[in-house]
Amino acid sequence: MNATANALVIEELSAGYGDTQVLWDVSLRVEPGEIVALIGSNGAGKSTLLGAVSGIVNTWSGGVRYGSAVMSGLEPDRVVSAGVVQVPQGRRLFGSLSVEDNLRMGAYLRRDREVDADLEKILAMLPRLRERYDYLAGRLSGGEQQQVAIGRALMARPKMLLIDEMSLGLAPVLVDQLIEILARIHATGVSILIVEQDVQTALEVSSRAYVLETGRVTLSGPSAQLLDDPQVKKAYLGV
Amino acid sequence: MNPATLKRIGLGGITGNPIAFAVVLALMALLLAIPLTHNGYIELVFRNILMYAAMAYGWNLIGGYTGYVSFGNVAFFGIGAYCSAILATHGVDNLLLYVLLAMAVSAVFAAIVGFPVLRLKGHYFAIATLGVALAVTDIIANLDALGGTGGLALHQVDEAHFSIYYYAMWLVALGSMLGTYFIARSKLGYAFVAIRENEDAAAVLGISATRYKIVAWTIGAMMAGAAGAVFAPANGFIDPSITFAIDSNVFPIAMTILGGIGTVAGPFIGALLLAGANELLQRFFVKAHTLFFGAMIVLIVLLLPRGLVWLFGLRGGARAWLKSLSVYKA
Repeated sequence: MNATANALVIEELSAGYGDTQVLWDVSLRVEPGEIVALIGSNGAGKSTLLGAVSGIVNTWSGGVRYGSAVMSGLEPDRVVSAGVVQVPQGRRLFGSLSVEDNLRMGAYLRRDREVDADLEKILAMLPRLRERYDYLAGRLSGGEQQQVAIGRALMARPKMLLIDEMSLGLAPVLVDQLIEILARIHATGVSILIVEQDVQTALEVSSRAYVLETGRVTLSGPSAQLLDDPQVKKAYLGV
Repeated sequence: MNPATLKRIGLGGITGNPIAFAVVLALMALLLAIPLTHNGYIELVFRNILMYAAMAYGWNLIGGYTGYVSFGNVAFFGIGAYCSAILATHGVDNLLLYVLLAMAVSAVFAAIVGFPVLRLKGHYFAIATLGVALAVTDIIANLDALGGTGGLALHQVDEAHFSIYYYAMWLVALGSMLGTYFIARSKLGYAFVAIRENEDAAAVLGISATRYKIVAWTIGAMMAGAAGAVFAPANGFIDPSITFAIDSNVFPIAMTILGGIGTVAGPFIGALLLAGANELLQRFFVKAHTLFFGAMIVLIVLLLPRGLVWLFGLRGGARAWLKSLSVYKA
């Protein structure tokens, strides 16, 4: 899973759908080995930003680089091959395929012969999935489905993992489990950008964070500092 | 793309129940004997079953595996039929050439039309494909070079060799079936299913929906085109109303759904059952056969919502079946 790490650099990125601009000159960096959080309320443009990085949403201006490689304008398959892989919001599993097939689908673009070995590593990291190996993914609980979604992304051998709203609709105890899993993934050398509405959780697991409001970065800094920021406290933590 | 790379990432294949597929292959082998024992009417009935099966396989790739419900596949069947008729009027009398040209023209047409049409989803895609079929029908009906509404007659082989059309249709059906089987065992088949299950998820894994939708649609078009290419000389005459008949559009869809959508055995089983039942009902109920035919379709959809092929994988008899019905409705 680990390979040469690069920084993900988003520079002055503007993007949107049709005539509607969603992102305005957003700049953001994820250094190799970092966990960075992108927080903000509904409709702030967080998922659009991840879509633009993944090549699903067209960028209007500005750019996305991963190391020295330009990502903006690339087809999604090239972005995945470069090692930047997204865990989409709402899990987005292949419901009528088994857990095993869902995981293996993550390796769709791979041509190496280490897929089985990686699968074994991921199952060791996510033991629940071994118990559910032959189940249809659509029949699993929300927490299990999120684990499948993460495992599926890991099968693509990411160096940079983009995780969209991991905690959405899950009980706090399940969120805690997932955070432990994230820590384990991070320990293997994968950089992580998490996008969260659950600001408390996001700031606790990340080292740095950005606040996105109506498509603009309004605040950024070390996560511990943002946790104490009066603005963040008032707007997102309800204290 | 090939089974070797599939094996490398360890996907098992999405061919459906292996017993059902074995049964279908055995039935196909039996059908090879039909012209030896029966001429005329029975041979015609089974040739039609094979024709519908090939069309159903064509529809199954885009409608079943990829999840894009098309109502336009009859256009490819018709284009295939007219390819044969054009070659025939130019003095070409070679079934293999008919089929090859039909497949090529259907594929090119499908790729060109697919590019804009496959950008649509759901109901919009269904309506647009219906529009394509109607447009092709009307264009051909208004082209004098293609006989217009008056149609075109094709030279047929003499009666002693007439079964060649049956065997040709058998080969087209077998090719469509095996083609589906190998696709379902390849990474290509998984790309189709990924698009059906969740297009967004497919995209973030690097599976280009646009590319693979066009591939599914184009390969399906070649299957329907090949069936049309054999139908035209076998029938001896084609015109827009025969070639683009509503039956040719709706039957393959109904057959795939009743047999088992997104499976390798389903389209053939559905074609055998539906076309066979249609023929029998017409014999016994000259006037009311469509009533019974319709009732039969409704009953199968209600009682076997996942298609007949599903029965092959059923364990636990009638109780398991009843339980599955309540689960399905819940």
